[in-house]
Amino acid sequence: MLFLPRLLPAQTATYVGSETCQACHEDIYKAFQKNPHVAVEKSSKRGWEGRGCESCHGPGSKHAESTNAADIRNPAKLPVEEADRGCLSCHLHQPTHVGRIESGHARNQVSCVTCHAMHKSPEELVPRRRAAVNKECANCHTAVWSSFQRPYKHRLPEGAMSCVDCHNPHGSVLPRSIRTVSANEPGCLKCHGDKRGPFVFEHAPVRLEGCAACHEPHGSANPRMLTRHEVRFTCLECHANTPTTAAASKTLGGVPPAFHDLRSPQFQNCTMCHVKVHGSNVNPELLR
Amino acid sequence: MRTWLAFLILCPLAAQETPPAAAEQAASAAQPAATPVAAAPETTISGMIDVGYQWRSGVGGSLDTYRTVVNLGSGLKLMGLDVSFDSAVRRWFDHINVRGYNWGDPYNTAHVDASRHDWYNFSFDYRNIAYFNFLPSYADPTIGQGIYLDQRSFDTHRRMSDFQLDLMPGKWIVPYVAYSRDSGFGRGITDFVSDANEYPVADRPRDKTDNYRGGVRIELRKFHATLEQGGTKFKDDQDVFTSDQNLGNRTTPFFGEQLMLTNLAQTYGIRGDSIYSKVLVTADPFSWINVFGQFLYSRPNTDVKYSQFNTGQFANLDLLLLYTSEFDLVNATAKQPHTSGTFGFELRPVKRLRVIESWMTDRLHDASFAALNQQILTPAVAAQLADFNDRLVRNYSQEQVDVLFDLTPKITMRGGYRYVWGDALTRGGLISGLPTESGELRRQVGLAGMSYRAGQKLSFNIDFEGASGDQAYFRTSLQDYERARLRARYQALNSLVVSATFSVLNNQNPNPAVKYDFLSHDASVSLAWNPKGGKRMSLVGEYTRATLRSDINYIVPQIFQSAPSSYRDNAHEANAVLDLLVPGFGGYSPRLSLGGSLLITSGSRPTEYYQPLIRLTTPTHKHLSWYGEWRYYGFGEPDYFYEGFRTHMLSVGVRCTQ
Repeated sequence: MLFLPRLLPAQTATYVGSETCQACHEDIYKAFQKNPHVAVEKSSKRGWEGRGCESCHGPGSKHAESTNAADIRNPAKLPVEEADRGCLSCHLHQPTHVGRIESGHARNQVSCVTCHAMHKSPEELVPRRRAAVNKECANCHTAVWSSFQRPYKHRLPEGAMSCVDCHNPHGSVLPRSIRTVSANEPGCLKCHGDKRGPFVFEHAPVRLEGCAACHEPHGSANPRMLTRHEVRFTCLECHANTPTTAAASKTLGGVPPAFHDLRSPQFQNCTMCHVKVHGSNVNPELLR
Repeated sequence: MRTWLAFLILCPLAAQETPPAAAEQAASAAQPAATPVAAAPETTISGMIDVGYQWRSGVGGSLDTYRTVVNLGSGLKLMGLDVSFDSAVRRWFDHINVRGYNWGDPYNTAHVDASRHDWYNFSFDYRNIAYFNFLPSYADPTIGQGIYLDQRSFDTHRRMSDFQLDLMPGKWIVPYVAYSRDSGFGRGITDFVSDANEYPVADRPRDKTDNYRGGVRIELRKFHATLEQGGTKFKDDQDVFTSDQNLGNRTTPFFGEQLMLTNLAQTYGIRGDSIYSKVLVTADPFSWINVFGQFLYSRPNTDVKYSQFNTGQFANLDLLLLYTSEFDLVNATAKQPHTSGTFGFELRPVKRLRVIESWMTDRLHDASFAALNQQILTPAVAAQLADFNDRLVRNYSQEQVDVLFDLTPKITMRGGYRYVWGDALTRGGLISGLPTESGELRRQVGLAGMSYRAGQKLSFNIDFEGASGDQAYFRTSLQDYERARLRARYQALNSLVVSATFSVLNNQNPNPAVKYDFLSHDASVSLAWNPKGGKRMSLVGEYTRATLRSDINYIVPQIFQSAPSSYRDNAHEANAVLDLLVPGFGGYSPRLSLGGSLLITSGSRPTEYYQPLIRLTTPTHKHLSWYGEWRYYGFGEPDYFYEGFRTHMLSVGVRCTQ
């Protein structure tokens, strides 16, 4: 099931067992003993008992005789789809991979081995320490990591959070692989439980467009990670519909009443009065 | 079931089992000394502990901004602890890993993993994140009078704990249970809002969410299903209060009266609960197709009991009345059934072709009811009773098809199409005079991409989507847009890797009533150079140039005329670390690290933020090293000069590894 015709050794190759591999690849073999994949080697569940190396690399008799790298399958050099097929022959049927084929990583040919070092320690196979996770993601997402150098950001550089706290790199039902909590709620609400609701009086963008409607979640030069430098512009760019413009633009968001004189500093920060801007349980104008 | 029975039967045996090492010791004691003894497997302990003292110089400039942005202090710290136990006995566990970082700092974490092969995997994760936010320029209408009071400020903590226990991992059927808690508490300043004035007052937020869930994963050769049932309990007991005379933000009398607040007790008693269900399925019934689907359902509810008692001098604009005391009660409830589902498949009709088709829907219907009892006590006015009903409906659907074709073993081309549609119903705005507003979403998106991979040396990837939206919910939503990303990675030498990324998003809403024009670019290069495996020197660096331009018209409330809102953000971001081996003595050579990060932005909120770093690590023993570190934090905003800060941070410590 793992084997694909391309780059397979000649058909005469047969399985020789992992001990044969150990003779030359002692360091890899030893490191592999602490790798969770050693279960393939030791368990009869998947039919590879004693042949863990060959479960991914294919039959190794020809390579063992010639010691030529071309005589054995190297998943790292295979086309991404073929390499992934090998991994997914076991891992497809796990919950983390349910949304995989919808994810940006799968569509953009980011193979499993890009992030997971197969032979190495468990930590290198699946980074779990937050700093290691962030480093792994930052290898490709350089600009995103740079955003965390901005003053107002989530605490990733401090090691209190990691990218996978918010994103599921294997895919999600939400855009940008945003993780879900409590079945189908955005992952933001795992930590920001006070914003979960349901609120008696909802603020529509929170539900319709999510937190990123007003916030730059990775980092911003604006206080509260807002998308604009002053709160009033964050609000007023949407709240700009009179009945006439609403009909013309077909968008939601009415202009505030005329007693909001923006020349007065009292009205320049909308959230000073609309304190429950994420949703209120008491007041339709989100004032308390 | 049989496995469970075997587990239960074997538990007492495991408890009575003599550890092999002890058994062998007993055996060897009974034998003549010359008898050779087989080496017993040993329990190993490995890891590191890093303890240090951190000293912060005085903060020049705004301490409040420093605490908002950095918030590190002086004192003894457990910088890091990472210890693993591998048991030879393997009675209750094979492996335990305990980690803790930054204890003594405002952001500290702990983590425990424990596992016993085929029995269980257990993990515990804890985080405590301080959230301090007090920016003098933010929500401060009195700043013109020289009063630097952020009236929306917080000094709070969020604490999160997660426990998960998987039973029989690696087996076909894996039951699991999990529990999470998220809590927030602290103090702050918020505003009590009354007609014609608002008053900065003390705020004590307290909320807590408990999440319980359990389920089973069925992992068969060609089929997988996860069935999960969970529930949450939520409570929010925020208190807002004052007992001091407070004139608020209004500096002028209102109809000849000075408005003021003399006493306030505002109490939120919010309780929520939810049940949720989750079904995930994957299957590969034939070699040429994979199928997946999800069904997610949650039904959160909220019950509200709110009370407010305030005294002072207030105005009620509806009644055209000045009054001195008020008592409000609110009872409310909200329900939000929320259903999501996806279904899709990957089809491989011929060897080099894949077709990925997926559907997704997300339906959220929020309905609420509130009963308000507003009683103006002095002068006595008949209680104002009002009922409110509110609704928010969101129906979202998406269908997408992608076709991937392996042009050559190194090149994969991708093309596709996404159609997004939905509708929404929300509370109407004050100006519209309507009880509800409705919006629609229609967007057609073309997708394309290419990836090229020449062995492990060179790879690049292009990803493009272009959309034409008929309708969007909001004026700043995605409408007619093009988004592209390019990533390239080149391993020039065994020791040198260079990568570059470029992304662009161009979004327009040409509707004459909106005229939204948004363009952002990010371009970054990074370099990792590790000559000779980094033994003597390594250099890691990255530079990003990010620009953002946004123009839209809005309506100025006091004149109801259109005005432009322009936002610009042009940023240079860089960070680098140069690591050098310094010739030493006694076989142990110190390492010197130089680097840090910088941010320079211009545009609507020009900002400069520097964090240089020097670190010297000196091994003094095979398992022991000493280190010293200097950091500098320098932050400045030309338009808000009073928010700048600068400080030095010195750390010394020892790291012990095993």
